[in-house]
Amino acid sequence: MGQNVRVPSLLLIEDDDAIRTALELSLTRQGHRVATAASGEDGLKLLREQRPDLIVLDVMLPGIDGFEVCRRIRRTDQLPIILLTARSDDIDVVVGLESGADDYVVKPVQGRVLDARIRAVLRRGERESSDSATFGSLVIDRSAMTVTKNGEDLQLTPTELRLLLELSRRPGQALSRQQLLRLVWEHDYLGDSRLVDACVQRLRAKVEDVPSSPTLIRTVRGVGYRLDTPQ
Amino acid sequence: MTDTQGGLRGWSAGRRGSLSRLRFTSLRLRLVLVFGLVALTAAVSASGIAYWLNREAVLTRAQDAVLRDFRQEMQNRAGALPEHPTQDQLQRAASQMAASSQRFSVLLVAQDADGKTVYGNSGGINGFALEDVPKTLRAAVTRRQEVSDTNKEPYHLYWQRVTEDGTPYLVAGTRVIGGGPTGYMAKSLEPEAKDLNSLAWSLGIATGLALIGAALLAQAAATTVLKPVHRLGVAARRLGEGKLDTRLQVSGTDELADLSRTFNNAAEALEQRVAEMAARDDASRRFVADMSHELRTPLTAITAVTEVLEEELEAETGSMDPMIEPAVRLVVSETRRLNDLVENLMEVTRFDAGTARLVLDDVDVADQITACIDARAWLDAVELDVERGLHARLDPRRLDVILANLIGNALKHGGSPVRVSVRQADDSVVIQVRDHGPGIPEDVLPHVFDRFYKASASRPRSEGSGLGLSIALENAHIHGGEITAANSPEGGAVFTLRLPRDASELTEENGEGGRDTKTDQHRPGEEGS
Repeated sequence: MGQNVRVPSLLLIEDDDAIRTALELSLTRQGHRVATAASGEDGLKLLREQRPDLIVLDVMLPGIDGFEVCRRIRRTDQLPIILLTARSDDIDVVVGLESGADDYVVKPVQGRVLDARIRAVLRRGERESSDSATFGSLVIDRSAMTVTKNGEDLQLTPTELRLLLELSRRPGQALSRQQLLRLVWEHDYLGDSRLVDACVQRLRAKVEDVPSSPTLIRTVRGVGYRLDTPQ
Repeated sequence: MTDTQGGLRGWSAGRRGSLSRLRFTSLRLRLVLVFGLVALTAAVSASGIAYWLNREAVLTRAQDAVLRDFRQEMQNRAGALPEHPTQDQLQRAASQMAASSQRFSVLLVAQDADGKTVYGNSGGINGFALEDVPKTLRAAVTRRQEVSDTNKEPYHLYWQRVTEDGTPYLVAGTRVIGGGPTGYMAKSLEPEAKDLNSLAWSLGIATGLALIGAALLAQAAATTVLKPVHRLGVAARRLGEGKLDTRLQVSGTDELADLSRTFNNAAEALEQRVAEMAARDDASRRFVADMSHELRTPLTAITAVTEVLEEELEAETGSMDPMIEPAVRLVVSETRRLNDLVENLMEVTRFDAGTARLVLDDVDVADQITACIDARAWLDAVELDVERGLHARLDPRRLDVILANLIGNALKHGGSPVRVSVRQADDSVVIQVRDHGPGIPEDVLPHVFDRFYKASASRPRSEGSGLGLSIALENAHIHGGEITAANSPEGGAVFTLRLPRDASELTEENGEGGRDTKTDQHRPGEEGS
C-alpha cells in the first residue's frame, strides 16, 4: 500500500441501486477507487469536478442515455469509456461503439471480467520506450505518446493510440481483427471484431486526409488492416 | 383495358388447365355429353315424328290417286270386256289402261272361251307379269268373300307395297264383279321415295346441327360454371399457401356466388384465427424476452456480489463459519447456473424475435476449435483431427457456442474420449463430434434439438439448461448451416455440423430485412484496395 502504485480511479454511472452498490463493492475489492453516479447528468457533473482515469457507463439510463453521455464526453475528452449494456442486442453494441466507447461488457457481468477489461484499457495509455515513426505527414512519437499530423497534435483516445502503435510497429503488414483484438484490447479468442472496425473508423476520421478513401490505414479484404506509407 | 386483358389471361389459363385435366369424369365433358344426349333425343324424336307423318301423308295421297284411277280404269275398260276375252282384247285393254295419267303398269288375267288362262300386259313380254305380284296379294284378290250386310261385294281391291331392286312399288289388284278379268297394277313410288329421302337427309342434317349447337351451348355453360370453380380452386390454393388475405369477388346470387361467399367467410375466419394465434404467440415470446431482461438486472447485482463471496472462500479458508461455507458455495454455483440459463433464454428469444445478427470475421477454423477446447480445459478429453489452414468467414462467437454445446454435450452424455474432426467439402466446412458413449436411443433422436427436452424422466436435473443443442442448431441455421445427429455404427453418437465457408451473403439478406444500422460494420473500409 505504501508503494508508489497509483490506484486507478473510476467513475461508475449506473441507475440501478443494487447493481451500482454491488459493482462498487466488487471493483473496490479489486483495488480501484470508485466514484458513482445514478444518472447521466450527475455523471457529467461529477466528471467536471474530479477527473477519473476511466468511466464505466450503463447504456439504459433515465434522462440522457449512455450513448448520449458517451458522445458528450467524446466532444471534449479522450477518456477511456467502457459501456455496460444490459441488452447484448447487436444494434446496441454498434451504436455504443459508434458513439466512441472503447470497449463494452454485457450484463450480467462478472466483476473479474470487468476488472480485466478496465486494466486492459488503462494499460493502453502506458508509455513505451524508444523512438518515433513517420508515415507521410503523420508522426508517431512513441516516447511522448503523441501523434502529430502536419505538425498539429491529434487528440486520440488510448485505444486509438494503441491501435495506431500496434499497426505502426509492423508497417506494410496486414494484421487480422483477431490479432488486433488480442494486441490492443487484450480480449480472448472470442473478441468482437466490430470493436476493431469501429476503432479503425474513428482513427481514420482523425488521421486520414480523406477518411472515406484512406491512404494510411488500408483494409485488406479477408484479412484485416495494414498501415502503409503513402507513396 | 387491363380488365379484359386480365380476363383473357384468366380464360386461357383456365382452358389450358381444363385441357390438361380433360378426363371422363370432368365436369366439362359430362355437361357436353348430357347436353348432347338431350339434344339428340329431342332432335331424333322430332324428326322421326315429322318424317313418319310426312311419309304417310305423301304415300297415302299418291296411293289414293293411283288406286282411284286404277279402279276407274278397271270399271271402264276391263268391265267392258266380254266374259271370256281373247288374248288380243285383253292386251289392248291393258295398254289402254296403262295409258292413263298415272302411268302404271297393268296386267289383266282372264279365261278365254276355251277355259285357257290369257294375259293382257301393258309393257309387252318383259313387262308386268303375274310373278311380280306377291302371292298373298293374288290370293286375297281372287278369294271370293261372303256377301253380307257389312260386306256388300264379293271382291275387293287390295294393295301392297313391295320393293324390288331397291325401288319401291305399289302393287294392287282387283276383280271385276260379275265375271270379268282380274286386273293388277304396279306403280313405281320412286319419286315419292326420293322426296322422302331428301326429307330424311334434311332432318338428319338438322339433327346434326342441333347436336353441334348443343355441344357449343354445353361448352359455354361449362365455362360459365367452371370459371368460378377454377377461380375458387386458385383461391383455395393461395389460401393453402398461407396467403390468408385471399378473397373472391362475389357477383350474382346463384349457388356459385353462395359458395364464393362461404369461401370468403371461411378465409376471413381463418385469417382472424391465425392472427389471434400469432398475437398470442408474440405476446408469450415477448413475455419471455421481457422476463429474461428483467431477470438480468438483479442477477447482475447478485453476480457481482457472489464473486466477492467466492473470493472470500478462496482467499482465507477457515475464516468462514463451516456452517455458512457450503451455503455460500451453493449460492455461488447456483448463481452461475442461473446466469447461464438467463443468457441462454436471451439468446433463444433473440432467435425467436429474428433480431439475432451475424458478426462475421475471417477465422482459421482449426484455431477456433483449439481455442474453444483450450478455454474450457477439455484438451485432455478431446481428440482433434483437424485440417490446418482451413479458413472460413463466419461468426466466431456463434461457432464457439455451437462447438461448446456439441463437445460439452458429448462429454456429459457420451464420455471421453470425444473425437472432433474437421473436413472441407465443396463450399462448406464439416465438423464432426463423436463420442464413445452408448449412443442416443432411436426414439430420442428426433428430439435432441428440442428445447428443454429431457432424454428420460428419471433424470430430473441435467447440468445444462436444456437449451444448449437447440441454441447450437439455431446458430448453425443463422449461418445457413445445419446440424444433424446420428448414431455411429461403431457405437456412440455423432453430431455433424455443416457450415458454409462464406456466410456473408446471408448477412446482406438479413441486413435488408432487419433493422438498419447505418454503418456497414461487417465490411468496413471497402474503399481501400
